[in-house]
Amino acid sequence: MFEGGGGAVLRQGRDGETSEGCWQAPALRADTVLALESITKAFPGVTALADVSFDLRPGEVHAVCGENGAGKSTLMKIISGVHKPTSGRIIYKGVERRFSSPLEAEASGIAMIHQELNLVPHLSVAENIFLAREPRRGPLIDRRKLKADAQRLLDRLGVTIDPGCSVRTLSVAQCQMVEIAKALSLNADVLIMDEPTSSLTEQETTILFRVIRDLQAAGVGILYISHRLDELKAIVDRVTVLRDGRHVSTEDFAATTVDAIVSKMVGRPLDKKFPERTSTPSDETILSVTGLTRRGAFSDVSFDLRRGEILGFAGLMGAGRTEVARAIFGADPFDAGTITFEGCDLRIRDPRDAIAAGIAYLSEDRKAQGLAVGMPVDANLTLADVAGVANGAGIIDRSKEADVVRHYIDLLAIKTPSPRQPVRLLSGGNQQKIVIGKWLFRQSKLIFFDEPTRGIDVGAKFAIYRIMDELAAKGVGVVLISSELPEILGMTDRVAVFHQGRITRVLETARIGQEDIMHYASGCGERV
Amino acid sequence: MRATLIPSFVTTGRRLSDRQKDIIQKFAALGSLLVLIVVFALASPAFFSVNNGMTIALQVTSIGLLGIGATYVIITGGIDLSVGSVLALSGVVAALCVKELGFAVPLGMGVGILTGALCGLVNGILVTRMRLPPFIATLGTMLVARGLALQITGARAVSGLGDAFGELGNGALFRMVTIGDDGFPTVTFPGIPYPVVLMTVIALAAAFVLTRTVFGRHVYAVGSNTEAARLSGVDVSRIVTLTYVISGTLAGLTGCVLMSRLVTAQPNEGVMYELDAIASAVIGGTSLVGGVGTISGTAIGAFVIGILRNGLNMNGVSAFTQQIIIGLVILLTVWIDQLRNRR
Repeated sequence: MFEGGGGAVLRQGRDGETSEGCWQAPALRADTVLALESITKAFPGVTALADVSFDLRPGEVHAVCGENGAGKSTLMKIISGVHKPTSGRIIYKGVERRFSSPLEAEASGIAMIHQELNLVPHLSVAENIFLAREPRRGPLIDRRKLKADAQRLLDRLGVTIDPGCSVRTLSVAQCQMVEIAKALSLNADVLIMDEPTSSLTEQETTILFRVIRDLQAAGVGILYISHRLDELKAIVDRVTVLRDGRHVSTEDFAATTVDAIVSKMVGRPLDKKFPERTSTPSDETILSVTGLTRRGAFSDVSFDLRRGEILGFAGLMGAGRTEVARAIFGADPFDAGTITFEGCDLRIRDPRDAIAAGIAYLSEDRKAQGLAVGMPVDANLTLADVAGVANGAGIIDRSKEADVVRHYIDLLAIKTPSPRQPVRLLSGGNQQKIVIGKWLFRQSKLIFFDEPTRGIDVGAKFAIYRIMDELAAKGVGVVLISSELPEILGMTDRVAVFHQGRITRVLETARIGQEDIMHYASGCGERV
Repeated sequence: MRATLIPSFVTTGRRLSDRQKDIIQKFAALGSLLVLIVVFALASPAFFSVNNGMTIALQVTSIGLLGIGATYVIITGGIDLSVGSVLALSGVVAALCVKELGFAVPLGMGVGILTGALCGLVNGILVTRMRLPPFIATLGTMLVARGLALQITGARAVSGLGDAFGELGNGALFRMVTIGDDGFPTVTFPGIPYPVVLMTVIALAAAFVLTRTVFGRHVYAVGSNTEAARLSGVDVSRIVTLTYVISGTLAGLTGCVLMSRLVTAQPNEGVMYELDAIASAVIGGTSLVGGVGTISGTAIGAFVIGILRNGLNMNGVSAFTQQIIIGLVILLTVWIDQLRNRR
């Protein structure tokens, strides 16, 4: 019934400006290149997007803002043909489209520049731009035309990159330009840019913005995703805010302020999302880090963590939070600095050293780094300490292991049909609980939680927050790395704010708001 | 105790489906094995006899032993192409120790097995410390070991090793011989050949280690997700190296058994055996991606290959046709496995 209604609205909209039905149909205006109507996307267990509608005009830079997990990436993946929407319609150039693959979307003129650039490092710039669309002369590639066409595109962007050189020799910014050239070569009418400036210097950003303005002048509609709200004012015409998978607002950027956008992004009721904190930090320092440095990743990072304290690591993606945690855990090396744990200098060269000392790290990427997803629940729960359920000869005591596994399944309320169930068949929240259980069984005294609630539904989030609080109450030191500011504010005692590999400020959580963290995370200097 | 009993009782409902799948897969391999036996038994009356059974078991020992090593290596996500050559090198080293250096047979064979273990250690170091892809590392040692075996023997077979050297390969347990009235001995039961006893004991031990020990759990974890295993404190390099040492040691043992059966050490022995070993593991459900595999599956795989060879031989199928059929069987089983995994 709803579908039919939408269609009627569309037809009427074409004819005139009349609109019927319960909502304003955005697709109807002549100056719209792309319209999204009630896009909903449900993944098993999670609704990533619910009823999102907005439109993109040609020659417009349209920012899409929202916290991590707000549904921006899912939405972009739907537009670019990676995912199919569960319901809702994509109207592109006045026609309803269902792209079955990114290739099909690209061929129709919707190009996406991914955060992690999709270039083939060993091919040349020209070959990358025209990959799978090489100009041919008979069965052979027309190398001269390939190079000339690439050169023309790069000239149009006003960048000096040799089309013949290999992509792996380029800087990230140059790679980005190559991606844009590729999008230009597709004659894209819609260009999606996902955090394009996250790894660019200021100067490179300036060049990028000039290119964006040129594209804009050429009539390309640009969807621009960025966490750096301060840079939006330089280029953005309109801004759409998403929150928890829902559309909050779409408005002219000139008519709003960064503060108003932020409050819309985070403006959810904070009550009930976090458990009452029962733990209070002791005076005893458990971990002390001084001058920790790895060239190119983080420098001169120093902080203390007390027993029973939850310390937040806040900052933008790529600010060095994960890198610091992994270095302390021994997963990656570091160049300089000292780590004092429980009063002793710790030499950590390998995760085994850290684990032996009682340090644990819950990876942000649980499937790739936290779990052996093909193995059953029980094997994953005891993975960090199989010897703990074995006798002296290294033979596993099955009944002991079963007892241990049962204990943690009950304690953490892990929902699994059986301890022998392969972990990949469980929900994200239960998977995360298994990783936590693994480190609880190892009797960890310090636990890094890296984005522990990413991709987890609200109920499971609450359970994980409560576990963190209980751990702290038992005197465990907890570091919470999170890009979700409400989470940082709701759960931590103090926050270390990272910006470009440094801790810019350590703040008492009780005295601050989200704006303070955002301020220091974007490196804006002293706040007055 | 109660706490562990009640939930498993409550939860058996959904657990069955996964279990069933597992059982079905096991039965699929076992079933095809049984079908082979029935077909060959009908085609040739001599096939289904105690004597031929022992012959098959004896023929399967080398693939079986190498297959066990291959299973360990493949579960970690690696591959060992060197075992055929390592087998030859170990065998000739054992023979030369006995013949040229006058070692006692057990000591000589011990040195041979140790040679295999050393080759495995080299493989492990190449793969972990020097970070070579397993395919390349073991391809290299495959050539080096074969070259060494040919070099130290001058490419000639080492013979005249004496009866004691042949005992391991040709002796049998519980062999029953009755002396008839006419004074001639009659074999009432051929006995279980020592190599078959050895393979059985090692297979049981290997299965126990893989499923019941900390080491075995770590082997699966490394293959299932190397990074997660490392971040959980598993010493990945040590585990991977040990699997190559196990593979090399078993290759050394296989070399000694084979040379003992012939009472001659052939530097050209064991060519392409590595592929039979890998095939038996793969037919038995071991995944080349890592993390999946069982010794029982590999044993079934080894017998599938062994029985195919034996049965086809008895029915006068040429060696060329045999290769074609075994090749097709490998493709078929792995394809079925893929279908099962895709669901």
